[in-house]
Amino acid sequence: MQDQQLENEIRDLIAGIIEKDPSEVTPDAKFFEDLGVDSMMALEIMAGIEKKYKIAIPEEKLTQLATLRETVSVAKEYLAQKEAGHA
Amino acid sequence: MPEIGIEEIQKTLPQRFPFLMIDRVLELEPRKKAVAIKNVSINESFFSGHFPGKPVMPGVLIIEAMAQTMIMLFHEEAAAPKEKAAVYYLGSVKVKFLSPVFPGDQLKITVEPLKILSGAGIVSAVAEVAGKEVAKGELSFSAK
Repeated sequence: MQDQQLENEIRDLIAGIIEKDPSEVTPDAKFFEDLGVDSMMALEIMAGIEKKYKIAIPEEKLTQLATLRETVSVAKEYLAQKEAGHA
Repeated sequence: MPEIGIEEIQKTLPQRFPFLMIDRVLELEPRKKAVAIKNVSINESFFSGHFPGKPVMPGVLIIEAMAQTMIMLFHEEAAAPKEKAAVYYLGSVKVKFLSPVFPGDQLKITVEPLKILSGAGIVSAVAEVAGKEVAKGELSFSAK
């Protein structure tokens, strides 16, 4: 999957969960400080990505999901692991 | 695990009349699956107002039954002494109501985790009457 496509999909998913316009979810906007995300929304973002891409992200990664850029990077890491597992 | 009766349920759930929304737990695999039933009687206090002459179980109380079944997933932890027991807070609810529930119906509620972290989680919940889905959706919660 193209990186840009992955970023756009995850941006839309996050925007839907936190009820913001996707244009506000810039790569480096901080979820907690800038976008008003709370811990339950963070959990929903994590679960939403797991469901959409059929991957499992461990609990300790939750704190790394602080911006769109970091979230995409974590998703990419586990997508790559999944693809390696199928190869 | 064998069925869990109402006395045991009350050790886990803090809710009481008129807000205890499950009568028995039929199946329990801690943190994996909980199945509970709620027998819906015309004597339920909410039927006097919802609605006079046309009793329909309020959807929010079906959600409450789902949430209480969800707490039973954590039966062992939740049954800790009261001072230590966690309080479970609903974070968000996405539920579709598919069919009304009437006096005489038996609700069967199945809850399974989608994602469980320490102190928070998301579960899927399905409520059925006589094998037919009447409500289903997802609940997220935190425990403090």
